[in-house]
Amino acid sequence: MTRQAAIVGGNRIPFARSNSKYARASNQDMLTATLDGLVARFGLQDQAVGEVVAGAVLKHSRDFNLTRESVLGSRLSAATPAYDVQQACGTGLEAAVLVANKIALGQVESGIAGGVDTTSDAPLAVNEDLRHALIALNNAKTLPQRLKALSGLRPGQLVPDVPRNVEPRTGLSMGEHAAITAKEWGITREAQDELTVASHQHLAAAYDRGFFDDLVTPYLGLTRDQNLRPDSSLEKLATLEPVFGKGEGATMTAANSTPLTDGASAVLLSSDEWAAERGLPVLAHLVDAQTAAVDYVHGGEGLLMAPAYAMPVMLARNGLTLQDFDLYEIHEAFASTVLSTMKAWEDPAFCAEKLGLDAPLGPIDRSKLNVHGSSLAAGHPFAATGGRIVASLAKALHEMGPGKRGLISICAAGGQGVVAILES
Amino acid sequence: MGTPVVLSSAPSMAKLFAQAAVTARGRGGSLPDTHLARVAVEVDPGQVADYAQVCRFPLADTLPPTFPHVLTFPLQVALMADRAFPLALPGLVHVRNRVDVVRPVGVGERLDLEVWADAFAPHRSGATVDLVASVRSRGDEVWRGRSTYLARGATAPGAPADVPELTIGDVSEAAVWRVPDDAGRRYAKVSGDVNPIHLSGLTAKAFGFKRAIAHGMWVKARALAALSGRLPEAFSVDVAFRKPLFLPSTVALSTGAREGGWDLAVRAQAAGTDHVLGRVRPL
Repeated sequence: MTRQAAIVGGNRIPFARSNSKYARASNQDMLTATLDGLVARFGLQDQAVGEVVAGAVLKHSRDFNLTRESVLGSRLSAATPAYDVQQACGTGLEAAVLVANKIALGQVESGIAGGVDTTSDAPLAVNEDLRHALIALNNAKTLPQRLKALSGLRPGQLVPDVPRNVEPRTGLSMGEHAAITAKEWGITREAQDELTVASHQHLAAAYDRGFFDDLVTPYLGLTRDQNLRPDSSLEKLATLEPVFGKGEGATMTAANSTPLTDGASAVLLSSDEWAAERGLPVLAHLVDAQTAAVDYVHGGEGLLMAPAYAMPVMLARNGLTLQDFDLYEIHEAFASTVLSTMKAWEDPAFCAEKLGLDAPLGPIDRSKLNVHGSSLAAGHPFAATGGRIVASLAKALHEMGPGKRGLISICAAGGQGVVAILES
Repeated sequence: MGTPVVLSSAPSMAKLFAQAAVTARGRGGSLPDTHLARVAVEVDPGQVADYAQVCRFPLADTLPPTFPHVLTFPLQVALMADRAFPLALPGLVHVRNRVDVVRPVGVGERLDLEVWADAFAPHRSGATVDLVASVRSRGDEVWRGRSTYLARGATAPGAPADVPELTIGDVSEAAVWRVPDDAGRRYAKVSGDVNPIHLSGLTAKAFGFKRAIAHGMWVKARALAALSGRLPEAFSVDVAFRKPLFLPSTVALSTGAREGGWDLAVRAQAAGTDHVLGRVRPL
């Protein structure tokens, strides 16, 4: 038995800038609040859903069972199973795919997919040398052994290990990686700033027309995404100094790169029957999804280019072309990432040599791209982005009427990518 | 009912405890008709976050159900520290507390607080008095609190209060809490309740306790926090504080679903003595 999973709706809290409104909120606080908002919206109080799947990218070791703990603190029935996933920035979309697949197979009738991240309440770890010394101390059984372990302690070891947005194998930050790709593809500063301004304007317009009224629940004093600047303009953005890349050709600024953000999102998925029994809407179906990975360490491919590889595989399987969609959601990790990916799909050499295609995938109609804003404006709490996009796109497709198709593309750390098709 | 005396800010509790201690002798008479009030009180989100952390509530857009007690408590203490109050504050024991959450209260709501004393009555071991708190938002009462204090050996006019003992049905053990030595100091910091009996062994001994004891309202709050997501929208939570919970201790929370709410008990894990018994019921 296979069937397509329905997207019933979503909920998220406004995304906050790092160390600001949500500085005191833990991942569990935010995920619980987001689940409770979804429960309230769809009348799920004290009910069990088939499964809740969510995750966080930056996680304390105490959060090993983050999703289940959040479910236990929420208004969902305690008889709701849950598990954690983590695929860097792909976490939220991957969670939705996992829930949708179980629904498609008939293993569950309903499920919630979500994600949360805080860069404020970050999991500082003890210095690696101190950790080894403390483990030795803990294992010591005799006084001389304890003294020996203690003798390994040094004041410098008190400096904690702060999580950094860095690829472990290359030592480069994600922004530095993206800057290399931007340079390779000749992505201009102007093009990046234009995409950035569009993101802010689209998001502001969507808020103004009430698009997010049934997608966002205020939290801790925020009613809109804190990073949103409706008055963003090309002139203002042009004054910023580049922060990633070096020298003359550097194009990436703090504005055309996503800032560190805190937030959470959740999406309710189900079978059509489950939704119908409860009088709940079906906004869209999750039709298909595909992941891909690239060798950004030794293989010469850009860290965030994996979605470019996933896309033709998924399109071919569904007999679709890149132009067969009414809306496109390409996650704006960096403006340059969106532009590099689209340029790659238009490039005959890349499509032939790297993707093994007879012809390029071709261009995307820019008027259909990220029409309700994306991560540059909303911010990007890593694992929460997928849920934001799935719920917003499903609602947008539903508004356009039946049979409309939407495409999602999300790049992730570790050289990975997730793409998916929704249809109303 | 007297006209409320409106205070412009929360009184300093350290000062009040000191004032109450030096004016403890020679108290007596009947209850004053004083109502103390504060209007349009804005809640500090930082204090809510601190309180939520110490009591283990999730950080949400609504106040933890016991948080308004922290807002009204300084007014209670001011009322009791005043010379007109018939009982001496040092030595008063919190024996019962009922909170009514009429509806969840948003962190951003401006709250009007009013506190008065009520039900001064003889008790088999002395006299009891209730400190009543009412919290309003835009004119509507959203929260009520009633704290019963026992003054051992004191006398009160009239007949003993006809308040039935709080009893609970079957409960089963839900969680074990290792309550650390500094639990009193941590709660004092976030609640402002700096009663010395909670702060350290030394200060507790001065008031006749062998060790520092946990704040009853912290135990109550933590029990409610353990039921997060499992509480009715509007509810009452009535608890009786039995034997003091000496710090540090290992205790067990037991719960049982009953009448749309919960019965609960916090008991010493080793001896099985009752520290707190409680009933949560929908309003």
